[in-house]
Amino acid sequence: MPAIDDIKSSWADEVELDQGELPAPSEIIENGHKIVTEYKYNNDDKKIKVVRTYKITKRAVPKVIAERKTWAKFGDSEHDKPGPNSHTTMVAEDVYMQFLSSKEEEKANDNILDQIKNIGKCRICSGEHWSAHCPFKGTVMDTSKLMESKPAVPAAVPAETSKSGKYIPPFLKDSQKGGTGMRGRDDTAAIRISNLSESITESDLEELVKKIGQHSKMYLARDKNTGLCKGFAYVHFKQRKDAAAAIEILNGHGYDHLILNVEWSKPQNN
Amino acid sequence: MKPLMLQGHERSITQIKYNRDGDLLFSASKDQKPNVWYSLNGERLGTYNGHNGAVWCVDVDWTSTKLITGSGDMTTKLWDVQHGVPLASIKTASSVRTCNFSYSGNQAAYSTDRAMGQNCEIFIIDVRTVDASLSHQDSTLRIPVLQSKVTAMQWGTLDETIITGHENGQITLWDLRTGKEINAVNDHTSQINDMQLSKDGTMFVTASKDTTAKLFDSDSLMCLKTYKTERPVNSASVSPILDHVVLGGGQDAMEVTTTSARAGKFDSLFFHLIYEEEFARLKGHFGPINSLCFHPDGRSYATGGEDGFVRVQAFDNSYFEYVFE
Repeated sequence: MPAIDDIKSSWADEVELDQGELPAPSEIIENGHKIVTEYKYNNDDKKIKVVRTYKITKRAVPKVIAERKTWAKFGDSEHDKPGPNSHTTMVAEDVYMQFLSSKEEEKANDNILDQIKNIGKCRICSGEHWSAHCPFKGTVMDTSKLMESKPAVPAAVPAETSKSGKYIPPFLKDSQKGGTGMRGRDDTAAIRISNLSESITESDLEELVKKIGQHSKMYLARDKNTGLCKGFAYVHFKQRKDAAAAIEILNGHGYDHLILNVEWSKPQNN
Repeated sequence: MKPLMLQGHERSITQIKYNRDGDLLFSASKDQKPNVWYSLNGERLGTYNGHNGAVWCVDVDWTSTKLITGSGDMTTKLWDVQHGVPLASIKTASSVRTCNFSYSGNQAAYSTDRAMGQNCEIFIIDVRTVDASLSHQDSTLRIPVLQSKVTAMQWGTLDETIITGHENGQITLWDLRTGKEINAVNDHTSQINDMQLSKDGTMFVTASKDTTAKLFDSDSLMCLKTYKTERPVNSASVSPILDHVVLGGGQDAMEVTTTSARAGKFDSLFFHLIYEEEFARLKGHFGPINSLCFHPDGRSYATGGEDGFVRVQAFDNSYFEYVFE
């Protein structure tokens, strides 16, 4: 019965072992190229052949440089052969300079502006006419003026923080509550948009509200698994009058074959 | 052109410098052996063995015969460039942060750190008389720096002045005949990491931790231009042939592990010298760039990084054909 020790290695390895020592490295110089061939073992103990081809070029240089070229190597390179030592000198992958063309950037900006213009066409009342001709055009200003003259709408709009995507550490939440109270916070300018289509994205939403006023943040509810919109979103405007205008304009507005429902963001039921 | 990658150091590169003709490239690193390379093919000519600490600075005189290095082992050494043997080793009271040969190569300056109860000091030595017996008492001039320590240094015009950049962002011009301060400016708000003269020496570009690089007039220390980035700038160099400035930098070494190389923070940034606008960037290192410089012919440049590699990159035609609009 053969002992396990007898089975030393597979026949493939033995063939390798039979060949013993590595062949000596060679250097051939032909046609202005130096070809260096080396043999070594790689990580899997397989013999590999490394062939490096160097191009030999001649350059006319000032005398001092030519003289320095003949200097003997010293220090840790003392035993290096003439020419680059592959241990210390490597040729890296080619990298290309990336030019930042200001022209392209400007073009890109123009495109974005065009898009906004196109959206503006039917944004206000979803009619198929230019926004300049929209019968509801004046209402933005009117409503915002109305909002200012009206007594403050019962605010009591609580923190949206837990719903908005950003994580806010508990101690910050507390300081907000303690510091500013319930009113006069950003959340008072928050609106809830519902009956959104599944396919809506953040950028669509942004385009939708951009016209009305500056917003500080927005949150589009998405299904955890599918990543599709769950049908509602929150937008925090910087100014309360913009939020009011958004409700005025967007509530009942047709978007992607659905009629949007826009209202003030309600307090969360704790 | 494919870049050459020079792997001669075991630790991060602290400073790299070309000699005047541009055929040799000197690199110093936090390991103890400064290296010298042929810049054309990346062949290593030798190493200067003898320091026992991190080597912070390196400079070569215009004849490429003498090399000066300053180290954390509290010595500054002068070397024979050709043979790699030390000519002199000067003991200091603390580690040597900067060292420079004067334009003539007759004098050299080095500065020491404020550490271990020692003040920061600038020393001027005459290197013509240098031999193994030279010690720190033999300096021709000693300037104690009582404010913030010197972190970068250059010789001014006609070897009559030196310009120092400080840890607090101050830039000071010193008169070497009197050893007194002539002028000081505070355009930078944080540490000056590097200062490099333009080809004719009339201007110099600074690299600061405050994320900007600035161009100064060498005589009046007037700030001429500011190049703004979003990262600390470790090194900056002015092209000798074109109106370009290249900046290299990245975060502090301690913050690097939190950054992907893909974020582009380790690229070299090319700015237009006059319009102060970035027009190109070039990838390479996978750590911050600690030192970089243009080849004296302006057709290639070299960078030394925290990753321990020195990269020599020749410019493609696209760089020379690029027209700034």
